[in-house]
Amino acid sequence: MARKKRLNFLVSLASVPLFLGLWELVSRAQIVNPVLFPSPSVVLAALQDWIASGDFTLDLISSVARVSAGFIIGSVHGIAMGILTGRSAFFSALVGPVFQILRPIPPIAFVPIVILWFGLSETGKLFLIVWGVFFTVWLATHLGVQKVDDGLIRAARMLGTPRRRLLYEVIFLGALPFIFVGLRTAVSISFYTLVAAELAGAFSGIFYRIEVAQQNMQTGRVMAGLMVLGLISFLADRGFASLSQRLVWWR
Amino acid sequence: MLSLISNSFRSDASTRLESDHRMPASESEIDVSDLSIVFDGAHGQVIAVDRVSFTARRGEFVCLLGPSGCGKSTLLNAIAGFEQPYAGTILVSGKRITGPGPDRGMVFQQPHLFPWKSVRSNIAHGPRMNGKTRAEARAIADDLIAMVGLSRFANAYPHTLSGGMQQRVSIARALANQPRVLLMDEPFGALDAQTRAIMQDSLLKLWSRISATIIFVTHDIDEAILLADRVLVMSAGPGRILSDITVGLPRPRTLELTLDTRFLALKRECFALIKEQSARAFDAAESRS
Ligand SMILES: Nc1ncnc2c1ncn2[C@@H]1O[C@H](COP(=O)(O)OP(=O)(O)OP(=O)(O)O)[C@@H](O)[C@H]1O
Ligand SMILES: [Mg+2]
Repeated sequence: MARKKRLNFLVSLASVPLFLGLWELVSRAQIVNPVLFPSPSVVLAALQDWIASGDFTLDLISSVARVSAGFIIGSVHGIAMGILTGRSAFFSALVGPVFQILRPIPPIAFVPIVILWFGLSETGKLFLIVWGVFFTVWLATHLGVQKVDDGLIRAARMLGTPRRRLLYEVIFLGALPFIFVGLRTAVSISFYTLVAAELAGAFSGIFYRIEVAQQNMQTGRVMAGLMVLGLISFLADRGFASLSQRLVWWR
Repeated sequence: MLSLISNSFRSDASTRLESDHRMPASESEIDVSDLSIVFDGAHGQVIAVDRVSFTARRGEFVCLLGPSGCGKSTLLNAIAGFEQPYAGTILVSGKRITGPGPDRGMVFQQPHLFPWKSVRSNIAHGPRMNGKTRAEARAIADDLIAMVGLSRFANAYPHTLSGGMQQRVSIARALANQPRVLLMDEPFGALDAQTRAIMQDSLLKLWSRISATIIFVTHDIDEAILLADRVLVMSAGPGRILSDITVGLPRPRTLELTLDTRFLALKRECFALIKEQSARAFDAAESRS
């Protein structure tokens, strides 16, 4: 059993190199057009080129700043609204139906209207990411709040917890495991939405650079951009998963 | 039929409320009079508690004994302030109950500990919420932790404790506000027989050191007689009080007492009442289905 586990771990280490090797092979064998399908070594060179040009740092900072700002603003409002609708049947009845209709609209569908409203400004991009994050976090919080063990609420009230403190001491902490599931989903959503946001016109950003490279037929840089996008969203997700494990360890 | 009954409840209640001027006896800590509680269930109204009256003196240990579903929890929740009376009144220390409060500690059937708080913080929560400083609350908690014999586990988290230990924490937590009344809803119901015997013993020891009035719900006859000064036997739903039995056995009590002839006589008395009630509840359920 332990041996099998170790074997699987070694296999998992080999996964990425194996994939890259296969890619290199396919590309070198000229089975496909190497201009459209450059090998990993070409992509790596393109990445180095990108970094050397000085654009990379700016692109990375722009994208990460957009994602983080949108994520934080969207989550804070999502959590606050989720607690409000989860606790108050009145508010839930008031805004629930509207939210349920707006929620399934893919954020990318808002790109045209966002350009009309905000032009190419950062506000518009922030709006898209906030939009994507907000509904996911709102729904997770709303459900989490409703699932908080009634026994815990009773225990807290029995001990004389004031209503205001009850919200943080029991409702928020009790819903936290659910909130974190929502937040983690929202991390991926914020990266999807980033693409839509930079599609709406930008002057820097990872996906913006991918678009420019595509227009110049720099396939190597396009792929490097994709790799970077994949890597940072992977790191964000992993970081978030370990953070949530640390913060809601009692689950 | 039910609406007729509830109408008579209502008129009853309003006339009673207006004429309710009598003061409770000074030493009676809990005074429940003509209490009825009705739920709006899926199949119409359910009378959970039906015109129950009883009093408990200060420092008394009263057990509510009755078959499952007879309204014991509902009655206890009403005293805790979680259920509103449909009719009748509940006075605690002469004051009408309007909601839960730190003067009434409650131990639930499940421990319901805050999973994100350590044993100490769980117990300190009540004092903290009632204006005690961090240091004061910590001192109160540490005293109680020692009293329930969990000093080694003060920093442990609930999910690392056994069911019996969790319930000890829950009892300590309920006592942390120094409540005048301790309400216990089948607190040992989920424990195995051995742990339960130990818990009963330590509860009695604990109670001899504090001055709280205890209302203890159980459907275990032995437990009721072993613990209580008085056993109130309830009828199968809708809950009514059938009999008020004074136990009168000497304290301190130990498990050996369950072999005493006086104990057995009391047990026989309770058993007869319960058996009749359970049979009636069963028949009622049968004829309904
Ligand atoms: N929230 C509720 N809504 C509707 N009916 C309820 C509610 N709570 C309790 N009841 C009903 O009231 C009656 C009494 O319930 P209660 O929980 O007080 O019984 P109990 O004596 O504590 O039973 P047990 O020993 O099984 O815990 C039952 O018929 C139950 O179905
Ligand atoms: Mg019950």
